[in-house]
Amino acid sequence: MSAWGVRTVAVLEVRQRIRSTRWKVALIAFFVVVGLIAWGVAAAVSGVGDSEWLSRQDAGRVLFGVVLMVVLFLGLLVSPTLSATSVNGDRAAGTLAVLQVTTLTPLDLAVGKLLAAWGAALAFLATSLPFLVWGAVLGRISPVRVVASVLTLAFVLAVVCAVGLALSASVARPAGSALLTYVVVAGVGVGTLIAFGLSAFFLQRTEVVQVYGVDVGGSGACSWSEREETQTHTEDTAWLLGLNPFVLVADVAAAPAPSLNGSDPLALMGAGVRFAQAGARDEIDECWLDDGGFGTSTPAGSAVWPWSIPVYAAAGAGSLWLAARRLRVPATTLPRGIRIA
Amino acid sequence: MAAAALAPADSAALVAEHLSRSFGPVRAVVDASISLEAGSVTALVGPNGSGKTTLLLMLTGLLAPDAGRVEVRGLDVATSGAAARRLIGWMPDVFGTWETLTCREVLETFAAAYRLPPAVAKERATTLLATVHLVDLADAPSRVLSRGQKQRLGLARALVHSPAVVLLDEPAAGLDPRSRIELRGIVRDLAEAGVAVLVSSHELAELEEMVDAAVFLQRGVSSFAPPTAALQPWRVHVLDGAAFLAWSAAVGLGVTQEAGGAGAASAVDPAACAGPAGPTHPTGPAGPATFLVSLTGELQAAQLVRDAVTAGVALTRFGPAYGRLEQAYLAMDTDRR
Ligand SMILES: Nc1ncnc2c1ncn2[C@@H]1O[C@H](COP(=O)(O)OP(=O)(O)OP(=O)(O)O)[C@@H](O)[C@H]1O
Ligand SMILES: [Mg+2]
Repeated sequence: MSAWGVRTVAVLEVRQRIRSTRWKVALIAFFVVVGLIAWGVAAAVSGVGDSEWLSRQDAGRVLFGVVLMVVLFLGLLVSPTLSATSVNGDRAAGTLAVLQVTTLTPLDLAVGKLLAAWGAALAFLATSLPFLVWGAVLGRISPVRVVASVLTLAFVLAVVCAVGLALSASVARPAGSALLTYVVVAGVGVGTLIAFGLSAFFLQRTEVVQVYGVDVGGSGACSWSEREETQTHTEDTAWLLGLNPFVLVADVAAAPAPSLNGSDPLALMGAGVRFAQAGARDEIDECWLDDGGFGTSTPAGSAVWPWSIPVYAAAGAGSLWLAARRLRVPATTLPRGIRIA
Repeated sequence: MAAAALAPADSAALVAEHLSRSFGPVRAVVDASISLEAGSVTALVGPNGSGKTTLLLMLTGLLAPDAGRVEVRGLDVATSGAAARRLIGWMPDVFGTWETLTCREVLETFAAAYRLPPAVAKERATTLLATVHLVDLADAPSRVLSRGQKQRLGLARALVHSPAVVLLDEPAAGLDPRSRIELRGIVRDLAEAGVAVLVSSHELAELEEMVDAAVFLQRGVSSFAPPTAALQPWRVHVLDGAAFLAWSAAVGLGVTQEAGGAGAASAVDPAACAGPAGPTHPTGPAGPATFLVSLTGELQAAQLVRDAVTAGVALTRFGPAYGRLEQAYLAMDTDRR
């Protein structure tokens, strides 16, 4: 691989696919859609703000969180269209073999195509930055967290682009690889949540737990007792949530304070994951006499990104490796019914 | 196989030995060997589906052969990768264009893909656009090019890095007559400059004018000199068909009248015999007519001309019915797939 080769391929890709008015229209449409959503959210939360239970800062956090999730959602929709047809589409158009026959290496081609697709995805991300910054300023979110969230989002899109590229290099038809890429995106975006939800049914066990509760019949004070409870051990499958791109981005963005108390959607998502991680507890605090609460404080848990970022990175690197492998010449096996030229 | 066996003769720029390649049950190339000399043009001829494109793909290093190997200037294309590919220029039979790129950008991009510095790339693009007469369209998006113009751009693209070996897969397809003549000129110029050129084409008459050698491919098996028949057809145009028939009967020469559509004449392009032939009769036309005679070679042909002219036959034209390549091709068991 050489910087020269990668650059040549990336420039060609950008000129070939992206130099068309369609793209400008798509970017403008993206800007308008994100803008409308941001404006809608801002209008809604400022309306609530009048009733003075949502501070200006909280309103900003809601705006930031919603826009971040919307941009991730739209990015997940857009990214596959960029990369998922870039190898087999070129092959169908008869423009791949003539590149492979040059001194460009397979990795030059794979990385160049990936960078071009990712660059285009980043252009969409860039158009939505003004709205993110708006929310961040209102919500007084620290710049470090804003940058970290945007970088994580960009990283997720890069991985999606890499997966699309690998599929387009492995599947004969562009329509097939595009569809498969969307299936993968839906799998991690929605499938992980469904799998987590369904797994809960299989993780229920009846166990003896220690309960710290009011001894109603006796002293009237709080004391420890044992009781049989049906517990759901979500801690066993909480890792599934970590694979979800929305959870991952929210987790990075909500650090360091996931919380159920408040309106920040990112903090709420983070808290949800913490509860899932905590799963069944052997000790239950039901004593309302001490602090008036039922132990709704968010469990400590751990951030998901140290687990999911390596997984995503491995998936991305593996995809890139696979794509480069499928672009290797001389080709020994060809997809069925595919001619090189 | 011993490397020594493959050691190219002084001038062999590309050597391929005993290549074979199957696609599932289809044996596209069974046993093909080829040797391209620097400074010479070689024809690759064979019926549809005989494996020409597949063979070229193996020569370019895009497709791995099941057996055999290819060396370009001593570099094995399977293992030397980019270094070997750098020496080869390839024009595929079908290829796309980068729709939104201009012709100049296409050429400059490919020059960059071969690691030519931008200044050199610019210069090469300009030179090649002039060579293939696309200067007027240099800054037009390649989307708007006609089929022949695309073909010419494809040729320029294959030459952008000044390769030592040029492999052209049906380069003349879709070209107008003038472009075909120019293509011939370009190919000859390349050979003059020391490039080894391999041209696959179905236009044998045209091919014959630019090639020094020919490789025939038949059901995936290559041969350098296919057996030519002992007797070859020559075409005779005469002013008086009846008189010619009478003379040939007298000297015992077997002739077939063309345009009658019998025998060997059936294989002849109808346009070739649409001479000023008047109404024809099986017994012998009175007006101008065209006949085919089978001769053993040029010596006998010269003899025939001398005898006929001496006998007062009004000969207007006389020559081999087909070119050498055509003849060799027809001598092959031409099975299409
Ligand atoms: N990728 C492939 N998969 C399956 N079969 C193939 C493939 N490529 C070529 N073939 C088969 O191999 C045979 C040779 O094909 P090839 O394209 O080399 O012929 P050709 O000599 O170039 O023909 P033409 O003169 O029509 O261009 C054909 O029967 C073709 O169907
Ligand atoms: Mg062919």
